[in-house]
Amino acid sequence: MFNYTFRWNQALKSLPQMLEGALVTMEIAILSMVIGIAIAIVLTLFRLSPLRPLRAVAAVWVEIARNTPALFQIYMVHFGLGSFGIHLTPYLSLLIGIAYNNAGYLTENFRGALTAIPETQTRAARSLGMTSLQAFRHVVMPQMLRIAFLPMTNQMVWAILMTSLGAVVAMNSDLYGVANDLNARTFRTFEIFAIAAVIFYLITKTITISARLLAARLFRY
Amino acid sequence: MKRTFVMAGALALAALTMPAKADKLDDIIASGTLRCAVVLDFPPMGFRDENNQPVGFDVDYCRDLAKALGVEAEIVETTFPERIPALMSGRVDVAVASTSDTLERAKTVGFTIPYYAFENAVVANEKSGIESWEDMKGKTIGATAGTYEAIWIEGRLKEWGAGEFRPYQNQADVFLALSQGQIDATVSTVEVAEANVKSGKFPGIRIVDKAPMVPDYVGLITLREEYGLINYMNLFINQQVRTGRYQELYRKWVGDGEPADLTVKGVYR
Repeated sequence: MFNYTFRWNQALKSLPQMLEGALVTMEIAILSMVIGIAIAIVLTLFRLSPLRPLRAVAAVWVEIARNTPALFQIYMVHFGLGSFGIHLTPYLSLLIGIAYNNAGYLTENFRGALTAIPETQTRAARSLGMTSLQAFRHVVMPQMLRIAFLPMTNQMVWAILMTSLGAVVAMNSDLYGVANDLNARTFRTFEIFAIAAVIFYLITKTITISARLLAARLFRY
Repeated sequence: MKRTFVMAGALALAALTMPAKADKLDDIIASGTLRCAVVLDFPPMGFRDENNQPVGFDVDYCRDLAKALGVEAEIVETTFPERIPALMSGRVDVAVASTSDTLERAKTVGFTIPYYAFENAVVANEKSGIESWEDMKGKTIGATAGTYEAIWIEGRLKEWGAGEFRPYQNQADVFLALSQGQIDATVSTVEVAEANVKSGKFPGIRIVDKAPMVPDYVGLITLREEYGLINYMNLFINQQVRTGRYQELYRKWVGDGEPADLTVKGVYR
């Protein structure tokens, strides 16, 4: 039994508002990826480091990011830090939460990519007189990012979808937040969430397709 | 004579063979269960007791309605935004969930006459310096997403052009954020505000003012086209007041004093 008359013409009036929300969603996802990649490179270096405390930091970060729900991570950034008097806006809480999650997963991606690069390359670079950091920077990292590029787009898609979790920290300007607000006002649940779902789909599809095209161009041998 | 006989026979046959066109009221009575959507994050209207059992004004109200219908009550927990999908997908028959009867929403669901009316209060963090509702201008204000008071305060903040609005997903998060000082104040029903301030779970907050909005009348909701059920529930609400049960439930869950008048002066219904 499904007793509902769809009223698309009414619901579509809120499309401009939802598209504005989609921009915020993309902004958060992109920023969180940039931050996430930067941190993941550092964590990868930590993992390779001979210093135990650095390796431990990387291990703990990755373990928590990968083995707890993203919802929990975002909630903790807002309410967990909040109980220590650190008050972040919903926007920042969501951004930091997703960036944290991204960094953890991307570190694992990079590790996978690293194992695909023969260790002899590092040795060769070192024998040419490079320091180990130079060898990582000029020889290993470019290859690592190349191998990890497509898995990274997965994480980007995941970051887009994770923005919908912002609702738990009172985020209301992203796509899901806008949809939620419209739903409370009008009770047109099915139209509004259907439109939101289509927008989400279009964004993520665009990302995966353009990433594939980009990879084909960038990584020609 | 013969003709009428044949026609009567045809009618009787039709009644036997054709599926009966039963409405929701019939369905509920036939199934023996009334399934009510109740929000259990909204004390004292709906919450869970120490044994994790649903209790509260709305829960008792659903049980009374079931009793009047002569069926069993089944409480289905929903959040505020989930009420409508629950109704539309047939997971529940009615929502006894303090639903504010706005005209916008009435385009989608069927409302009964009001069964309760809330007054709203401004609850502030003690450090925020908010002493009256107008002091909320320019501050960070939170409320439970999807509620009448959330829509109201968001509208005020937009009007003032200053301040930030934060819709949290449930009442508990709003008061947690308020207690932590993440938000300066919230607008919530007097009943909820008093219950939360009294609970002692949220230190550093107090009720500072009444919110100057029209009383928040709430109705029972069901599918828009279920006139039979809506009709029945209207009479049921009338009887609850008439028999003193409304006042009894108010005393039991809300406190001493008089429950809100459910009539509006100068107009029918």
